[in-house]
Amino acid sequence: MNNLKIEGTQSTPAVSCDMDTGIVEMRGDSYPENSYELFSPILNWLDDFLKTGGRPLRLKLHLLYLNTSSVKAIMDIFDLLEEAHGKGFDVGVNWYYDQQNERVAELAEEFREDYTFPFDIIAQVE
Amino acid sequence: MRDGRQLEAEVEALLADESHADHPLHKALAGLYTEFQARLHQIERITQISDHYQSVTREASLSLSDRYAKQLRQLQKIARISDRYQLIMRDLNQALRTASITDTLTGIGNRRMLMESLKAELARTNRMKRTFSIAVVDIDRFKAVNDTYGHDAGDKVLTEIARTIETDMRDYDTCGRWGGEEFLVIMPEIAAPAAAQAIERLRNSIRALRVVIGDHVVEVSASFGIAEYRADENLSALINRADAALFAAKRAGRNRYEVAS
Repeated sequence: MNNLKIEGTQSTPAVSCDMDTGIVEMRGDSYPENSYELFSPILNWLDDFLKTGGRPLRLKLHLLYLNTSSVKAIMDIFDLLEEAHGKGFDVGVNWYYDQQNERVAELAEEFREDYTFPFDIIAQVE
Repeated sequence: MRDGRQLEAEVEALLADESHADHPLHKALAGLYTEFQARLHQIERITQISDHYQSVTREASLSLSDRYAKQLRQLQKIARISDRYQLIMRDLNQALRTASITDTLTGIGNRRMLMESLKAELARTNRMKRTFSIAVVDIDRFKAVNDTYGHDAGDKVLTEIARTIETDMRDYDTCGRWGGEEFLVIMPEIAAPAAAQAIERLRNSIRALRVVIGDHVVEVSASFGIAEYRADENLSALINRADAALFAAKRAGRNRYEVAS
């Protein structure tokens, strides 16, 4: 399988999925006109990666504004991780936020609720 | 309350049972059950973005009712999170708006703010048939302050003058920085004589300022052009009259005000 790289735009995040390191990074705002077009390849990549059996997967999220369909899509991704975690896979999420913006940390906590896989909310000085 | 899975198992068993095939309720129950599954499928499609993902879910181990409950929780969670984002956006907009009308150096209103206020005051005055006055405030020989003490000193002087203007004027007057060393004051419900009194007080306050710059104490003064709004005048004309009065004040020796005719 290949690496996945999506260029960021004014309204969509930059995405990079590396099959060697098992690291998926998403960075920026997300309010795509068509969330299926944006997130479907990412979900497919994650699915394929998890099928290759057992290698650790880490999501590093530097996300700012998410429109509602992006919120849904991110939760889809987390559901996928939760299932993998249930099967014993090594998966986890790092959610990074600007130290000056506590509200994004609160938001990340809402996302994290109900999930049992490792989910770290990390302050950054920008 | 029996658990959803048990109920579904019962319904499926009853529908599959040959001996019930002609029962009057059979057809209706079969139709209802099909409809129930279709509705659940619909809800799942709404809450999940990817068709592909559905093939991966471990739905098989959950009853229909459990899947339904799960989707409802998901929808509620999506709504809560979305609400939070919108609150953040609203606050950001508010902060941006404030920044766009504030002079970064002095913290007083900027030219954009003054223009908005002038337009509003004009509209209000025309509606209510009242009056208002404006005063342009120009610091005397400000360039000399910069040249002698440096630009940081000049900034400090500007900031202290801005504070003085804000303090001296009434709460419902609007003060702002019009340009480099110029400020503008909008005084609603005030005609020229009363405006002149208020400006005279301001003139004295500014003259009495002692700005400490390192080892030096800097004194300043300002000149003022006052203009009372004339019915059906436009903003441009009003400001021009105030400017002309300011020019007259400077020519007459500075540290004074003049009222536009």
